[in-house]
Amino acid sequence: MMWLLVVLLSLVAAVPSARALVAEVSQREIAVRTDFTGAELIVYGAKDSIPTDIVIAVRGPPMPVVVRQRTRIAGIWVNGASAMFEAAPGFYAVAATRPLAELLPETERRRFGLGLDALPLRAREARAEDSFRQALVALKVERGLYRQQDTGVTVTGERLFSVRIFLPPTVPPGLYQVDVFGVQGRRVEAVRDLTFAVRRVGTSAEIWRFAHMHPWLYGVAAVIAAAVVGWAGSIVFRRG
Amino acid sequence: MQIYLPIAEMSVDGLVIVGIGLAVGLLSGLFGIGGGFLMTPLLIFIGLPAAVAVATSANQTMGASISGLLAHWRRGNVDSRMGTVLTLAGLAGSALGVQAFALVRRAGQLDLVVAVFYVIVLGIVGALMAAESLRAWLRRRRKIPRRLHEHFWMHGLPVKMRFRKSRLYISVVPPVAIGFGIGFLSAIMGVGGGFILVPAMIYLLGMPTGVVIGTSLFQVVFVTAAVTVLQSVSTQSVDIVLSLLLMVGAVAGAQFGAAMGSRLRGEETRGLLGLLVLSVAVGLGYTLVRTPDAPFVLEPLR
Repeated sequence: MMWLLVVLLSLVAAVPSARALVAEVSQREIAVRTDFTGAELIVYGAKDSIPTDIVIAVRGPPMPVVVRQRTRIAGIWVNGASAMFEAAPGFYAVAATRPLAELLPETERRRFGLGLDALPLRAREARAEDSFRQALVALKVERGLYRQQDTGVTVTGERLFSVRIFLPPTVPPGLYQVDVFGVQGRRVEAVRDLTFAVRRVGTSAEIWRFAHMHPWLYGVAAVIAAAVVGWAGSIVFRRG
Repeated sequence: MQIYLPIAEMSVDGLVIVGIGLAVGLLSGLFGIGGGFLMTPLLIFIGLPAAVAVATSANQTMGASISGLLAHWRRGNVDSRMGTVLTLAGLAGSALGVQAFALVRRAGQLDLVVAVFYVIVLGIVGALMAAESLRAWLRRRRKIPRRLHEHFWMHGLPVKMRFRKSRLYISVVPPVAIGFGIGFLSAIMGVGGGFILVPAMIYLLGMPTGVVIGTSLFQVVFVTAAVTVLQSVSTQSVDIVLSLLLMVGAVAGAQFGAAMGSRLRGEETRGLLGLLVLSVAVGLGYTLVRTPDAPFVLEPLR
């Protein structure tokens, strides 16, 4: 991690004013290959001694999601009432130097969408109760796609800060938004926003694109591949 | 060894997948079946989406059945006329099945429908198989001779057709109905349907046992091929990487299974297969009535 230190020190030298805040992400592009098992992203930067606290939010591309409630009908569990969230972030991680509730009042947290309880998740069905919203967050947390690390941001010498964000293997591809907030006296004093992209590359990306753009050809190719492997396999093993 | 599945959009342990292929291949070689009805529940069990499990399992079953079909074809054990009738009806059934599959998926009830189909179909077939093998075992002890084949009322329906190789002159209505039904189940359950087709051919159509396996493989290969293409087009849920990994295991397993199977007697094999089918039905039935781990489920919208 020597390079990180060097970068951070050079950043410190560049901080101009009292409320300045600079930030960067370790990778601007994360490649999802066939052997992808998740990735670690480091968001780091430098600030002055004021603002004292840092909140960092990472948001994945918004996507529609349906939450269904399991209900029992005649002894069998079926999917009952549902709520559709049209723009739930595909990934969300928030980290801070201190617990979020201590740092910012609820109105501010809602305004910037900071904290799992302050995410702007709106269901299409107005009647949908809050339980659907909570279930959505809970299920995403369980899959490692939503996370709140209240004390995840480490600060070195009042000036350098960094946080490690783990992106699980199921992260959706797309453009990711990173917002870095400088917080002082229960107010957001400075904001920096960055972006990075998660892209499917290599064979798996080619296969996905082919399957979605030429579904007929893909189906035929799957049939031929299965036929060749099945036939070749039987020959290999008959001799062996 | 983690491998990212491009269509399922998740990482899985490649060795676990090959292992599943091996285990299912072993049983399919032992019992002379495609094994799709074991494959789909196992894939769902390790966390794959039901849509991917069903569609990929059909693709895999096709690959696993093709070598068997070639072997039977070379030995002349395929009634291609009967096979064609079953296949054409099967294609119509699978086209309808894929539509139903997409509809149910949009309604968010896919997991339920797949499980219910498995419980009902496997429950009935498993019970019939177990009962039949018990009867055959008793018959052998009492030495009651069996007739070549019995004429059902349904054989006398209109549009008669001669199936030379099967030595039958019957109405095309029963084979069309059977083929259609199997095609439909193939699309919904991701199975080849050999475990239903074989007894249906013997007991409902009265085909001679010598051509039954080959002819059923004929239908299975073509219908699962059609299901693969149709699922690719309508749901984009055939995962070719998953399918190839499964096949690597299945092809190897089937050879060992076939070697083991030659040491068992017919009714013993069928009895064991019946028990296996029944236990899958009971296992899946339990998941329907068991209180779920989470009171809510999440699914992406496509």
